[in-house]
Amino acid sequence: MKNIRTICTFLFGVMVLLFFGLVYPHHLHYQEQYQLFLFDSTYVWEIIKQPGGIADLLGRFSTQFFLFAWVGALIIAILLSTVQILTLQLDSSWTSQAAKSSEGWLYGLSFVPSCLLWLYLLDENALLSGVWAVLITLFAAWGIAKLVRGRTRYILLIIAIPILYWIVGPVCIPFPIDSLWTGIHYYRYPTVFPVLLWAASLSVFILTLTIHICHRRINTSSSDIVTFCSFALAATCMGYLVWRCSNFKAEKVMQYDFMACHQQWNRIIETINKEKPNNQIGVTVQNLALAMHGMLLDHMFEYNQNGIAGLLPDVKTDATSPLSTAEAFYQLGMINVAQRTVFEAQEAILDFQKSGRCYKRLAQTNLINGSYEVARKYLMALQKTLFYRKWANETLVLLGNEKAIANHPEYGRLRQMAYKEDFYFSDHVTPEMLESLYFSNTDNGMAYQYLIAYYLLTGDREGLNHFNSKK
Amino acid sequence: MKRYNHYFFQLIAVATLLLSSCASHPDVPSSSKNTKSLPAIFPDYCNVTVPYNIAPLNFMLPADKYEACVARISTPDGQQQTYGNGVKVQIPEAEWHSMLNASKGKSLKVEVWGLKKGEWFSFIPFEIRVAKEPIDEYLSYRLIEPSYVAWTFMEIAQRNLTSFEETQIFNNEITMNDREKGQCINCHSYQNYKTNNMLFHVRLSNAGTVIVNDGKISKVNMKRNYTISSGVYPSWHPTAKLIAFSTNLTRQAFHTENANKIEVYDLASDLILYDVETDSVSVVSNDSTLLEVYPTWSPDGKHLYYCKSVPLPEEMRDKDIRTTYPKIQYNLYRRSFDVTTHNFGDEELVYDAASQDKSATLPRISPDGRYLLFAQGQYGCFHIRHNDGDIVCIQLGQENPSPLNLTNLNSEGRPDSYPSWSSNGHWVMCASRREDGNFCRVYFSYFNNGKVEKAFMLPQEDPEHNTFLLKSYNRPEFMVEPVRISVNEFSKVFDK
Repeated sequence: MKNIRTICTFLFGVMVLLFFGLVYPHHLHYQEQYQLFLFDSTYVWEIIKQPGGIADLLGRFSTQFFLFAWVGALIIAILLSTVQILTLQLDSSWTSQAAKSSEGWLYGLSFVPSCLLWLYLLDENALLSGVWAVLITLFAAWGIAKLVRGRTRYILLIIAIPILYWIVGPVCIPFPIDSLWTGIHYYRYPTVFPVLLWAASLSVFILTLTIHICHRRINTSSSDIVTFCSFALAATCMGYLVWRCSNFKAEKVMQYDFMACHQQWNRIIETINKEKPNNQIGVTVQNLALAMHGMLLDHMFEYNQNGIAGLLPDVKTDATSPLSTAEAFYQLGMINVAQRTVFEAQEAILDFQKSGRCYKRLAQTNLINGSYEVARKYLMALQKTLFYRKWANETLVLLGNEKAIANHPEYGRLRQMAYKEDFYFSDHVTPEMLESLYFSNTDNGMAYQYLIAYYLLTGDREGLNHFNSKK
Repeated sequence: MKRYNHYFFQLIAVATLLLSSCASHPDVPSSSKNTKSLPAIFPDYCNVTVPYNIAPLNFMLPADKYEACVARISTPDGQQQTYGNGVKVQIPEAEWHSMLNASKGKSLKVEVWGLKKGEWFSFIPFEIRVAKEPIDEYLSYRLIEPSYVAWTFMEIAQRNLTSFEETQIFNNEITMNDREKGQCINCHSYQNYKTNNMLFHVRLSNAGTVIVNDGKISKVNMKRNYTISSGVYPSWHPTAKLIAFSTNLTRQAFHTENANKIEVYDLASDLILYDVETDSVSVVSNDSTLLEVYPTWSPDGKHLYYCKSVPLPEEMRDKDIRTTYPKIQYNLYRRSFDVTTHNFGDEELVYDAASQDKSATLPRISPDGRYLLFAQGQYGCFHIRHNDGDIVCIQLGQENPSPLNLTNLNSEGRPDSYPSWSSNGHWVMCASRREDGNFCRVYFSYFNNGKVEKAFMLPQEDPEHNTFLLKSYNRPEFMVEPVRISVNEFSKVFDK
């Protein structure tokens, strides 16, 4: 078959697409919510002035599309397929065995860098900038090989390395020197050495060398069947490795968080009925969805519970777990508490980025509180984004418009449910806080459910009786 | 063809020149409708008094109401210049400084026109009075999100007040070896407005106080087994290598409904004196029943001023501070100090805020020793989070001093705090959340013989900068010279 290599690349791309689209979509949502790409010259300059800045910028730009998991999956599929194609081209261009290296049994090896990058992306803290860095390096190496030959090629390569270093970071110099790799924005923890990314960049060099050596010793068959078998073998190995290394538990947690973020209460109920969540975020979201349907008190013990930590857990200093708790605070009408929780979550993003989700919620809580000028600041930032702009424009119109806010199905309701009397709180939610909220507006069924659930989960009969006597 | 090319490029050059001249020096509208009001410019620089060395007071009309803005600035000697680029008025530094120099002790007249729906409107002209006294050339502040407990990237930056140059003194990115633990940098302080002797704190990962002593950097830990914490709020002695600190057990709690949102309070706080030369710590005051905080030296170094809480009513003493916090009020005290023996005299009450149901914090004495500035709210020690927080100034040496009129400096219903004096005593600075109640900005007021002029916001090259900046200016401090030690040099002290 003439286009066997195109078919193999296409099949690989489809594998990646289906994996991220069907199996790992919430990892993509997770990535998106911990960054905020701004169409703003200062923001862009701040990124590109750092080593690896161009790769970082491209990574951040692409990640904003992860809001839509299938688009994100497509982007990753295209990137990884391109890496494979460029690896193949590079092997051909930089070895004297031009035609031979791209087919036969060795063909499957061209998928190794892409496979390593795929494994790298399974980690929710691995950033897409790493993939862009490898791709740009490959593209540069391929371009040099195409442009010039002989000794000039090597001279040009040496000249290109410092420039490439500035564009993509240390991916272009795959030496495992810790100080070189840490601090580059390939990974959410800048102090972590991204082993898989390093291995991916190193594999390109090793492969080129291997093919160069092997072709002199092995008489490789160029038949399509052998090429395809080589791909099939590589694909099987990749599939096995990816499946083994995937974090399905994290994916499930991210799914609950995603559903809570998008207020998909029915979908949450369907999901918990299929499989009862047994992690803190899952249980928090499960209880929130039950309460939103007014089912919490009747059905909470049909599902796993985790005491008060599954209802309104203490706010921890990480970027993930507080967000679903903040959603519960928000829906309860504890607007200041929700605001604080979201703010803390955003501050805990380890690579100092901002979050579209958090900015949105900060704008909403300030709007509900009547702090319109603060809300405006967050909305103006969101106006500089691709996917939050429309929402920001629609919300900006509401600022200061008391009548429109009162009639708004969400903000109007939450204003009515909010505290009427101040209550001083610390890090723990107490029944007094919920009681105060309930007595601020006895129509607040959420507060009622959460308060009774609190007493039931903590076994505080005395508190429950005391509350019933006050009712 | 070549000839046409030549004309084409000439045309482009002329058009570019015309465009650029239009952008920086536009024509005044030939006709306009008079609004009979002052222009609603941001920042509000109408009728302010500024130092003759301040950076250009760039401003803008609201972009959602106007399409363009033109301003004509006239100097007392009759020279005029127009500015306007869209709704923004951005004045080149050289032109601005030459206008200010020509106006020392006099006023600049500013006329503003705004284009709205194709029609030009004119406003009542305003003045910018130019004081003869300069402002200190540098200002440093911590740039931080208006956070609760957690924080992210933060920096201590320095700004040249005569231009728009801003550079980093230090940031928490490069020295944070434990990112999960985090690293907080705060409370920078200088001896006598100079930077050769200075300090700032680092908390959590790589914790310590970074002290620059005659240009030499070291990191010290001031915690001793007889102190409740390491040094927190500092004040350099003006002449000796001594630093007074408060030691604090600080906590935060949050309001569910109150617009103040956050309450910062101390469970305990004392005062210590740190000797930089000998690395020794001595206790100044450690009354376990009361809270002492915010030490500050008089300019001659002969007195240490500080805040101390008044005892709570008997019935409240054993209760949780989260219920008693609205009753915790601080008065201002001072103790004499002998720089040779390091001995302190008896405590004297300087200002009794509690008797007026108020709480006074953050005292600062004017360089001539005549005036005392402080922040005052109804309760507590952290007025930058209190909407009733205002700056108060009293004349020292009077038996019952009455506060000066600072309505030109304070905002209404928004926190104003962290007051300080310029080294010549003619400029008062404060941090204020007056724009939106959340993000702190820096304001300056001209001070002369107890009179304070209208405050103006720290000017920025792009007047919209303060609209988009989602950070607060925290703890602004005047300096007469820049910090010359680089971020990398500071970071080396963390390797040791």
